[in-house]
Amino acid sequence: MAEQSWAKHVADVLRRNGIRLYATVPDYIVSHVLDELWADPECRVVTTTREEEAVGLLSGAWLAGHRGALLMQNSGLGNCTNALASLNMASMIPMVLVMSHRGDLGEFNPAQVPMGRAVTHILDALGIRWIRPMSIAELEHQTDGLVKLCYVSSQPVAIVLPSELTGGKRG
Amino acid sequence: MSPLTRAGATKYLASRVKNEVLVSNLGQASLDLLAIADRPLNCYTFGAMGQCSSIGLGIAIGRPDVRVICLDGDGSLLMNLGSLCTIAAEAPRNYVLMVWDNEVHQTTGGQATATARKASLVGIARGAGVEKGIEVRTQEELERAVDRILKEDGPFIVVVKIDKGPSTAPFDQDLIGQASRFRKALAALPAV
Repeated sequence: MAEQSWAKHVADVLRRNGIRLYATVPDYIVSHVLDELWADPECRVVTTTREEEAVGLLSGAWLAGHRGALLMQNSGLGNCTNALASLNMASMIPMVLVMSHRGDLGEFNPAQVPMGRAVTHILDALGIRWIRPMSIAELEHQTDGLVKLCYVSSQPVAIVLPSELTGGKRG
Repeated sequence: MSPLTRAGATKYLASRVKNEVLVSNLGQASLDLLAIADRPLNCYTFGAMGQCSSIGLGIAIGRPDVRVICLDGDGSLLMNLGSLCTIAAEAPRNYVLMVWDNEVHQTTGGQATATARKASLVGIARGAGVEKGIEVRTQEELERAVDRILKEDGPFIVVVKIDKGPSTAPFDQDLIGQASRFRKALAALPAV
């Protein structure tokens, strides 16, 4: 059973790692994290029309000196794969990707399943280091190190949020 | 045939900027800017077709004290029209989107884009909520538009109708070096 405070923990680990700028195409699960960020006057959240646009925006913000995170559904990874490859990997522009993992355990919507299977393979194919914390303890244990790796390697990293952590979405 | 060329308009714009950031689109816009007016405050983007306007928006949000002028292409902007909605919603006053509109996909051999047929980028931008839109067809109109974008608050979209034709400038493969140089130059620019 997922603990309700998981979303605050995600927001807190991002904020304590100096991330104040967020871009998003919302999804039901990450919206719980967005609620924390929208309520924080020190954080700015930009809603884009498509995940690829968010990658461009956060890349520009990095070039202007700001850390940024992209909050989305894992389906959005498909919408921004080329930008992550040809912009972020090719030019070494870091950002933190935070995505719900739809299409895995407990999924009710068949349309989510293929991308649910593909998501970590796409990240691996791009060479993007990812974590998939199954509990708040794992999230707290792994994320500081992941964000440090993001900026020391100057490449994107990803936090995949499984239904074991978030409770998923009920149909 | 348009009396303006991308190289000529790039040269004119470059002669007018000082501490403004120029963000150039992949392919033609970056090749011409690199060859004609290379400077540390140029942000060349050679990856992610369509993202020039979004990268510039991120820079404008990150440095609200610096004017940011994107040099996009019609084919690329048509690939990311949602960006116009985000520009309108965020409405950074320091943001200008210039589009070199030659009505073709130049880099891939000159195939017609939608602006060669029915689409108006200024019209689309207006519908998205970018109210300050200018379409430029002559040198005199270009000079008047540049006067405005360097003085007035944005966001602006300036669509410059240019002649067809590929850039003859060489390609610089050091993408990491270009991004790093730009990031350092912008960081070194004192906050206003």
